Amino acid sequence: MNTRDLVLIALFAAIVVVLGLIPPITLGFIPVPITAQSMGVMLAGCILGAKRGAFAFLLFILLVAIGLPVLSGGRGGLAVFAGPSGGFILGWVVATFVTGLIAQRFVREGQAELHQFVGFFLASVIGGIVVLYAIGMPWVSAVTGTPLLAVATGSLAFLPGDLLKAAIATLAARAVFAGYPLLPVRA
Amino acid sequence: MDIRFTDCSVRFGERVALQPLTLTITERRVGIIGLNGSGKTTFARLINGLVKPSAGSVTVNGLDTVKDERAVLSEAGFIFQNPQHQLIMPVVADDIGFGLKNRGLKGEEIDKRTQAVLSRFGVEHLARRRVHELSGGETQLIAMASVVVTDPKILILDEPTNQLDLRNRRRVADTIATLDEDTLVITHDLPLVENVERLLLFHEGRLAADGAPQETIRHYHEIAGC
Amino acid sequence: MLTSLHIEGNSWLHRLPVRAKLLALVALSILLFLTSSLVVQLIAFVISGGLYLSVGLSWREALKRVGFVFFTIFFLAAVNLFLLPLNEVAVLTLRLMALVLFAAAVTATTTIGGFMDEITVLLTPFERLGWVRAADVSLALGLVLRFVPDIFTRYQAIREAHRARGLPVRPLTIIGPLIILTLKDADTIAAAIDARGFRRQ
Repeated sequence: MNTRDLVLIALFAAIVVVLGLIPPITLGFIPVPITAQSMGVMLAGCILGAKRGAFAFLLFILLVAIGLPVLSGGRGGLAVFAGPSGGFILGWVVATFVTGLIAQRFVREGQAELHQFVGFFLASVIGGIVVLYAIGMPWVSAVTGTPLLAVATGSLAFLPGDLLKAAIATLAARAVFAGYPLLPVRA
Repeated sequence: MDIRFTDCSVRFGERVALQPLTLTITERRVGIIGLNGSGKTTFARLINGLVKPSAGSVTVNGLDTVKDERAVLSEAGFIFQNPQHQLIMPVVADDIGFGLKNRGLKGEEIDKRTQAVLSRFGVEHLARRRVHELSGGETQLIAMASVVVTDPKILILDEPTNQLDLRNRRRVADTIATLDEDTLVITHDLPLVENVERLLLFHEGRLAADGAPQETIRHYHEIAGC
Repeated sequence: MLTSLHIEGNSWLHRLPVRAKLLALVALSILLFLTSSLVVQLIAFVISGGLYLSVGLSWREALKRVGFVFFTIFFLAAVNLFLLPLNEVAVLTLRLMALVLFAAAVTATTTIGGFMDEITVLLTPFERLGWVRAADVSLALGLVLRFVPDIFTRYQAIREAHRARGLPVRPLTIIGPLIILTLKDADTIAAAIDARGFRRQ
């Protein structure tokens, strides 16, 4: 891995930490407050691409594991992985990778703006929501004994917020793509 | 030092950053000036191998910057414009120690050398300080210390006083004057290079003047039109 | 801003080697998940709780660290009460709490350096395969810790600039510039690292 990629990965992990320091936003029609950090997966995949984005989150998870309170709300340490959300946090790496794969496959410089928006949105939704929940929910069920159906039903409450996150991440990713494109091309 | 450019030129894509240049530098205190985009930064970066020549060659104390890449990096230390980008560890002593750890040194030796180099720059009291909390001048001095600690023979300083206020400029300038290493200083800060042995002026990718500081600076004013 | 969750102390757990603690955590997880005995879970819970509280944290701090995870556990336990027999819910809940408490105790009694040393050892097989270099992981970790405060300052600066211009302070308008300005530094930082010969083998 060249040094530039290493630095990009580290800087992005640092960005995810800072995102965790931004206060969450509560919007009336959404039951759970949205944290800027939870958009990190979508942003990393869409901006850095699959490999670097995944590494950035691997690094971020390492920070959590070694005892740094970098999760939104000042949380951290191994306790986080022992709990119900452990699957979601570990799943971030895979989710970012998938987001990146889709973004790299479908978004190019020179495309119509709308095309890029759709590409980033699809990448964010499929990677950051579908894949993430596909990993996180079974983990919750396995670890807490709550039947998967109940977990899935409960998770629906998060869906509107997640879609909004995907929209914000899409706009931000596109802005970054326009200003300083880093997304590697994938045929 | 013994730096030789042989028919060396650099192009980035279509753009010619440096026209073919043949030159030998043996002085101990050298300055490099020129307008933005004149090629002076490219010239400096050729010396430690950050930039490779598109044609021709550069040798530093007998080492070729392409064939002996690693050795050249040990031979010639490079201090960047923005010291913020130079320091990569959260605590001062760790940043200085990182370079030494990489060269295989162990704990006690690392601490000893770190202390020594920080003392040399008058900043030993900053050893456990967080980099984020340093002032501009302190950051620049620590960045210099972190490069100097690995014993390069030559130091290239890229606009070392760029981001500094008047007092810190004086402080850094005084420090540079006392360095044992041979130095090449690229700068816009003319007082910094008034007393060098040889001053090079670059303009539009070419060497426009080369010699005693006063003469070169006069030439610079002409080119800049002011 | 980035103070680790390790606290100074001299408890038994503090003095135990990192590897032993991590292995114990893994072993405990496997054991607790293999058995559905309420007694075992209860004993594990009591011991883990005891260990966690013996580490030296104030009650308030101890609660703060596991509060959020416990909240999720209790919430799902409440859901479980409607769907599963009481005995089973107790087993599930105690099991999770025992693991969370033990994990939190390990975190509180292990330094970052201690963890990193273990990770360096764990990475050795991957290093032989040529997949990753332990030195690179240390460098990456250092870089993150180094630049988080700078990036946060930058975030505050952007926010202030927006306010000064009368723009609404929305995450969307801040995240874009924050990311661009930060990632643009990557090239120079990488050049500085290469100039110091850090990553040549």
